[in-house]
Amino acid sequence: MAIKFEQVSYEYIGVDGSSYKAINDINLDISDKHEFITLIGETGSGKSTLVQHMNALVKPSSGTVSIYGIKVYKDVRKKAKNVKLNPLREKVGLVFQFPEYQLFEETVLKDIIFGPRNFGVSLEEATKRAKDIINLVGLDESYLERSPFNLSGGEKKRVSIAGILAMEPDILVLDEPTSGLDPKGRDALLELFTSINKTLGKTVIIITHDMNTVYKYATRVLVMKKGSLVFDGDPIDLFTNQAIDQWNLDLPDLLEITRQLEAHLNVKFNKLPRSIDELFELVKGVL
Amino acid sequence: MLFFNQFDIILMLIGVDKMNIIEIKDLSFSYVENSPVLRDVNLTIKKGEWVSVLGHNGSGKSTLSKLIIGLLKADKGDIIVDGITLTEDTVHEVRKKIGIVFQNPDNQFVGVTVEDDIAFGMENLCFDRVEMLERIDEYAKKVNMFEYLKKEPHNLSGGQKQRVAIAGILAMKTDIIIFDEATSMLDPIGRDKIMEYIKEINDSGVTVISITHDMKEAVNSDKIIVLKDGQVLASGDTNDILNDKATLNASNLELLLPLKLLYKLEESGLNKPELKDLLWRLSLNK
Repeated sequence: MAIKFEQVSYEYIGVDGSSYKAINDINLDISDKHEFITLIGETGSGKSTLVQHMNALVKPSSGTVSIYGIKVYKDVRKKAKNVKLNPLREKVGLVFQFPEYQLFEETVLKDIIFGPRNFGVSLEEATKRAKDIINLVGLDESYLERSPFNLSGGEKKRVSIAGILAMEPDILVLDEPTSGLDPKGRDALLELFTSINKTLGKTVIIITHDMNTVYKYATRVLVMKKGSLVFDGDPIDLFTNQAIDQWNLDLPDLLEITRQLEAHLNVKFNKLPRSIDELFELVKGVL
Repeated sequence: MLFFNQFDIILMLIGVDKMNIIEIKDLSFSYVENSPVLRDVNLTIKKGEWVSVLGHNGSGKSTLSKLIIGLLKADKGDIIVDGITLTEDTVHEVRKKIGIVFQNPDNQFVGVTVEDDIAFGMENLCFDRVEMLERIDEYAKKVNMFEYLKKEPHNLSGGQKQRVAIAGILAMKTDIIIFDEATSMLDPIGRDKIMEYIKEINDSGVTVISITHDMKEAVNSDKIIVLKDGQVLASGDTNDILNDKATLNASNLELLLPLKLLYKLEESGLNKPELKDLLWRLSLNK
């Protein structure tokens, strides 16, 4: 396993000394091969805190996270002085909520090569990567010389994702990467993650509130509730067999409409549609 | 003469009823010279309306909202809010009428605690302290953040911050509220609750402008304005725009799924009036 959580909890401490558990007793295995994982759950359920453990950005209050064999636990830097956590950040790339606010360089190119240069990649190699990646995120090379501050929100988001991709991580973790994007921009980005997942064979983990994304793209879904992992499995199992209301979730549009049509037409379709075309065929079949 | 007076009063009543609370005339703006973000935008929003502003990323939606509250200064054109033309002298008066919730709540957090943050807008409007405390509790409960009042905002999740930001703006009880993708980080049930609540305040007479990409959110509004490359591409009743495939497509938006299905069925000659009704009802969430 690339990442293994064993009984991991994390507590935030307030200025007044009060504390609350953001995540609680998490056990989780993540492979770095071909997984497309969506992490969902109500606001404040601990999703962001959980993923920040995946590259040792945050260390557990109790329990252990093993990342590529390196054990990360409370006060690991004090107890094991020779442990190096930095290389983990090259292996597991983390894109925050609103990554666009982290752009700071004069040009898009400088922003993209900042990460790889920090990990010792040569200027020539980093620049080459930037040129490949800018196309991959749906922008052309002319953007490389532009100032990141004159770009639109969606464009900035793509540039910041390009910066993480340029480090060539094996696992790409993105915290709500598509919020604020228009539907076409959102789909383009999700297709990009799919191709990173399928063609490059990397594991992609995204936090989302969009059930359509979960249903269309995910091979595995994790559900958090009040700091605990309450579901880890197949998206179809989640949407067809679980009481999802209790986790503040709703059905993907496609399944919601399918259910309504079944009730209205008084039929039971012989399979779940995976696309609007499939739903069309199913409806056509019973009319 | 008497007749004339009555006629006058009727005209006045109609005038009040359908008053334009926001009028935008020939508005242009650019951040960088020669690359305008908004070009000759003309639009009106009536008092009490709920208007959705849609458009692709970079179409100028957020810039428009920043111009309306005077965070940016127009290159050209006029913005008239409730009869007041926005200028440097009137900006404070105008801001008393408009609350705005930004997409990224971090942009509007200033307080040490959640409570301070909800209070901030009201403090600026010089609210009475007792009333302010009442409203803090009331609105924190409405957005389901009451138990977090004494917590520090930076320890909250993105979605929780959005709810606090919404509470702070709602508590100001301004005549107009702009939501700039304000529910983008909420879970589905949380988003539905906020939508119900927006509906409630709109019913009570507050003018709502919501900037969104979410067609399921836009169906709740009375009117939709679509921006494309800094210009108004279309403007009209919600049902008409929802149905306007060409406009939606041109602005990176998409038809609601039930309507997509409806058109596919119609294209292949499967016109069932009953099914059409159902698919429209599903589209409009009714």
